[in-house]
Amino acid sequence: MPESMMQPDLQDVATLNGVQAAALARWQERGWPGAEDEAWRFTRLASLDKLSLRPADANLANGTGNLSAHALPAGAHVIRFHNGMLVANSLENMPTGISARLVDEDDLGAIVDLAPANHPVTDLSVAAMTSGLALDAVAGATVTTPIILMFTGNSGSVSTHPVVLLRVAKGAQAVIAEWHSASVGLSAPVMAIDIADNARLDYAKIQQDSATTTHLAATGIKMGEAAVLDGFQLSIGGCLARLEAHVMLAAESADCRLSAIYLGRRNQHHDITTNMTHARGHCQSNQVIRGVLDGAARGVFQGKVHVAQDAQKTDGQQMSRALLLSRKAEADAKPELEIYADDVICAHGATVGELDETQLFYLTSRGISPEVARAMLIAAFLDDAVDMIENADLSALLRPHVTAWMLAQEGSVNA
Amino acid sequence: MTPLLEIKDLHASVGDTPILKGINLTINHGEIHAIMGPNGSGKSTMSYVLSGRDGYEVTGGDVLMNGQSILEMEADERARAGMFLAFQYPVELPGVAGMSFLRAAVNARRLDKGEDEIDQLEFVKMVRAKAKDLSIDDEMLKRAVNVGFSGGEKKRYEILQMALLEPQLAVLDETDSGLDVDALKIVSEGVNMLRDANRSMLVITHYQRLLNHIVPDYVHILANGKIRRSGGKELALEVEESGYAGIDDAA
Repeated sequence: MPESMMQPDLQDVATLNGVQAAALARWQERGWPGAEDEAWRFTRLASLDKLSLRPADANLANGTGNLSAHALPAGAHVIRFHNGMLVANSLENMPTGISARLVDEDDLGAIVDLAPANHPVTDLSVAAMTSGLALDAVAGATVTTPIILMFTGNSGSVSTHPVVLLRVAKGAQAVIAEWHSASVGLSAPVMAIDIADNARLDYAKIQQDSATTTHLAATGIKMGEAAVLDGFQLSIGGCLARLEAHVMLAAESADCRLSAIYLGRRNQHHDITTNMTHARGHCQSNQVIRGVLDGAARGVFQGKVHVAQDAQKTDGQQMSRALLLSRKAEADAKPELEIYADDVICAHGATVGELDETQLFYLTSRGISPEVARAMLIAAFLDDAVDMIENADLSALLRPHVTAWMLAQEGSVNA
Repeated sequence: MTPLLEIKDLHASVGDTPILKGINLTINHGEIHAIMGPNGSGKSTMSYVLSGRDGYEVTGGDVLMNGQSILEMEADERARAGMFLAFQYPVELPGVAGMSFLRAAVNARRLDKGEDEIDQLEFVKMVRAKAKDLSIDDEMLKRAVNVGFSGGEKKRYEILQMALLEPQLAVLDETDSGLDVDALKIVSEGVNMLRDANRSMLVITHYQRLLNHIVPDYVHILANGKIRRSGGKELALEVEESGYAGIDDAA
């Protein structure tokens, strides 16, 4: 790796031990993926080269950041990270059934096991961790209060490396959202999620960072027997964003829904990469991906579904559709099925299209303005994905962002 | 009184192909005109040129509505000014809920006229009442626009939109195509209910049978891009008898 590609500069990171030292060694050995790395073929990180970043330090922990105007669900508990650092008092008064504390060495070990392995963001952010949070939903607890992890930031010269371990113990239920609304150089969160047997997690991620932020996320999810994940990712901000999620269906009868929407305009680049591993039989996975691209934006969906030899009776579905609103916009899709079992139902598909001229004319011929007509057709296109969200609070949290994006004119992406 | 619609020496092309070659037609308030013609005579092109669809280029002449040229107006502006096109092939809009679509259309016109958006409850009542006249049930109103509708349902849904939008000029493009006798009757009755001294219609059809139900004041025969003959409703019967053969020469 050329030295210049090793952003951020980790010189001032304190001497590390144990898990973090090992992660640092892996990071220093491999660094960012190069042009020859197939997994990063559509998303090149050369733009990081031009930045001069250092991991945020405690001097930047204070401040309120720019809280978004969009409303939070009533009664939600907000845990704040500012410039990647946990705002300490946000762990007070946690909802009953949830424990929250800083990570210890054992937690870090669990994080590395759960998060995407051999992944630059996992290794970098575990090594350069700005804050580490361990959240546990205790066994049997049903916690309906949404917990919102709110990430703000206001320093363009820093990288942020928040690391979160989220465990939903046996039979527990929790509702968690990640909301990124930061203006930093690089936002590189690691989420390590363990959903135990018969547990359920309703999860949403909103990536709404500033137009100058690079957002590279590594999310790892492991699901136990009959565990349920109702997950959704929305990528709407940033200049370059890659939301990478790896799911391990580690026991029978797990049910994973992980849909996503990306909305891009100007020169934005959105990458949704998923890696769904069916290790055991009788599990379901369903991914509905929708992208809308205007201006010179680019969208990438890479979705791998791996079905192991033992994973009979797997039902794995994946459908990606992209809508291009401009001639300069571009969408790439790379769906991959790797199936080693013989009794499975798996389907995948990917389409790229434009708004239908006949449908637009039908709407405008009724007196509806072309702008509203386009918004109606885009909303209809996105609803397939948005409708996947079962939890009403998370749905209400996410929908206004989609609507606001459609109503905003080209060129006015949140700055 | 200024005529509602004046088409003056209208020429129009699709791509490089001239389709309309000098149409002249005047429609006064409250009149129903029928345009009949063989396939390829320019009937559908005329409906799209009037309603302002992209890709239909006017190369000469003018179209005036209430004395004002509409050629510079976009499709939505023409619609809000009182133009309505009932499509030959109504378009399916998956994911677009029927009621929101109808309300968006009604509100677009109201806001243009400086009125407030329609009250939601009042709107639902109004739609249900008008839908009932056209044998459109609640279940159909709840579906996405035209999705899963039969041919007859699609045509009835077009007339429902016409009833809600109360246009000054309704262009009905082959509204009879794909309809069986019963459906034709329901659609025609729906149209006849909307006959009004302040509403004019241009009924485009290949066959005379629709004109038994929607009786026109005038009939025009369109062939090869021009109106070749005009007359009263009896002209339609004459065409039914002798066909379109030889019409080109009759101009």
